[in-house]
Amino acid sequence: MTQVSSKVCILGDFAVGKTSTVERFVNNQFSDKYLTTIGVKVDTKELSLADGLILKLVLWDVAGADRFGELELNYLRGASGHLLVADGTRPETIESARRLREQAVDRYGDLPFVFLVNKADLKDAWEADDAEITALRDEMDDVFVTSAKTGENVAEAIERLGERIAAREFSL
Amino acid sequence: MNDLEELKSLLFGAEKQALDSITERVQRPETRAVDVADVLPEAVRISHQRGRNLVGTLRDPVGQCIKDSFRSEPKEYADALYPVMGPAIRKSIISALRAFAQQINETVEQSVSAKGVKWRFDAWRAGIPFGEYVVQRTLQYRIEQAYLISRDNGLLIGHAHHEASRIKDSDAVSAMFTAIQDFIKESFSPDRSGRLETADMGEFTLWAVHGPHALLVCVIRGVPPRTLRADLSAILERIHFRYGDAVREYTGDTATMPGIDEDLAECLRFEALKAGEAEKRWSKSLIALLVLVAAAAGYFLFHSWQYGQQQQALAAVLDNTPGIHIADIERHGRVFAVRGLRDPLADPLDTIADRAGLSADRVVGVLRPFQSLETDIVFRRAEKRLGAPDTIVVNREAGRMVLNGTASESWLATTQQLAVAGSLGVDIDLSGVQSSDLLQLQIDAAKLGDAAFVFTAGSTMRDADIERLAAHVASLAALIKRAERLGVEYRITVVGHTDASGSLQANTSLAAQRAAVAVAELQKQGIGAAFIERSSDIDPGEYQAPKPELRRVSIALDLLATEASGRNGSE
Repeated sequence: MTQVSSKVCILGDFAVGKTSTVERFVNNQFSDKYLTTIGVKVDTKELSLADGLILKLVLWDVAGADRFGELELNYLRGASGHLLVADGTRPETIESARRLREQAVDRYGDLPFVFLVNKADLKDAWEADDAEITALRDEMDDVFVTSAKTGENVAEAIERLGERIAAREFSL
Repeated sequence: MNDLEELKSLLFGAEKQALDSITERVQRPETRAVDVADVLPEAVRISHQRGRNLVGTLRDPVGQCIKDSFRSEPKEYADALYPVMGPAIRKSIISALRAFAQQINETVEQSVSAKGVKWRFDAWRAGIPFGEYVVQRTLQYRIEQAYLISRDNGLLIGHAHHEASRIKDSDAVSAMFTAIQDFIKESFSPDRSGRLETADMGEFTLWAVHGPHALLVCVIRGVPPRTLRADLSAILERIHFRYGDAVREYTGDTATMPGIDEDLAECLRFEALKAGEAEKRWSKSLIALLVLVAAAAGYFLFHSWQYGQQQQALAAVLDNTPGIHIADIERHGRVFAVRGLRDPLADPLDTIADRAGLSADRVVGVLRPFQSLETDIVFRRAEKRLGAPDTIVVNREAGRMVLNGTASESWLATTQQLAVAGSLGVDIDLSGVQSSDLLQLQIDAAKLGDAAFVFTAGSTMRDADIERLAAHVASLAALIKRAERLGVEYRITVVGHTDASGSLQANTSLAAQRAAVAVAELQKQGIGAAFIERSSDIDPGEYQAPKPELRRVSIALDLLATEASGRNGSE
């Protein structure tokens, strides 16, 4: 059994449910007030992957924004992957997430990521249509429609990100 | 131009011009310098890439150039170095001043308190300056946790902590610390050159020591000395040296840095115990000490109580001892010092100590002599003054001294005089005392006994008896002198004896003559006639045959009475 750790940043616009999405699945260490004070909060999540690899994800939940400032970009330094979150009821947040990722890539290069379109429980109120999701899936490998409320697909999304990071960083 | 020259010109004209041009350039330093300048930078670069020969070659001349330049234009170099040296010097001075101020503050604070006085004494005993001692005692700290964090990604490389330390998820703490540091750096250090080095949180101090690729963050309980930072820096430098690329390229796999936890554990060794913890550590010793003290106190109390009992017993014995008056008794250790008055005839202190159950060496006296009038002492004084011989037994009966036994007449006479004079202080009964002189007189008188002296015929005494009579009378006279000295009355009876032969008248006369011979001898020894009684003893027998054994004179001494017998003395 090998234990390793990786830094993952959760990126997304305001109120897309970044914190809510992961909080049921992670080891909460610090108060949410850090998000509004210093703009980031850290949680951890241990994943048991193939070949006995224990991957501990150190999740940097960066405060929501449609564009990162210098401080937030600094928070992304050294990350091994990104968890992008958008709100299905607000299609513009998909674009925000995409933009944030581009900023990250510009600064730190391409990294494994998964894209979560959140609030599946409010599907009736979605403004993002299936075509948009399909286009997203064409653009990206790992797009998950998730619900912070029910937990739908959240664990799978995190696990998928872990696998991709492990494959890249630890040659799993 | 001759033909040969012309031919040369035709054949090599162009080459000759080129050769002339090259020769001219080589011979002109100006053109040669321009040529070298063109290739020099590239030549240096290529040489440096190939090896260190160029560096070795240039070291001495360049070094010499720099030295010469420093000497010739020091101000220029000082100005040039100012932006670099200034901050470094200021930083060093500020660091030193902070430590100095901290030391002064603590010294002043402690110097006026009771603890300060004690520490001054301890510092004096330890032979170190007071300030240094204060710093040692004041800076109490312990490194509770140590985090080694990658500077690149904030991932935790290693973590060490004391078992008792309460820790959160160290990976999350590591990341959050990195985030906070980024936040502070971004917020308060516009050029991002500043670094978070210290944070105070109640009883904890958080120190961050920055290395090129990793950050050593220590959570310290208490107040650490500034010198600790150098120790932590040394550890961090060692880690960088030991793990090299693994630290620089750390991506979360601790397997790339085996043994890192042991390296970090070295940080936990730095500690200066708090007084309270020291006390806890010594608590067993303290308990043992308390037990020892309690045992000593118990021993002391028991002995105090025992000494108290012994003192009371001694006081009681002294109170009951005639001839001693005690003012006070003091105890010095195990010895009792008795002060007061003592009659010389009172019991000695050794005896008193023995009666009180103490050894003689535990009672000493500061006793002034006095004359006691207690009955016992008065009797002892009288007895001593009497100096009674061993033949006298002294008893006390109804307040009187009763003596029994025998003693010399002279002792008796002296005793009687003392008794009559009343100088002994007690009544004395001498009725039981007999004079040993009188008894001896009686014994001697009995020994001498009656004696008879034979006559041949008539009034002529046998020769042998004449001498015997003289000796007997002499002894008798001596006894009589002793009797007279003792006041004993006596009577000497002289009887003249005859047998029955002859007439009564003749025999009566003969008996008187024979008695007269003895009387004469007695008187010759100075015995007065008044003490001599004469008589005759004529055998009345019918048969008048001569009986020579009856031709004699007998002398008997009778001691009649003694004036000394039945003496009594009184005050």
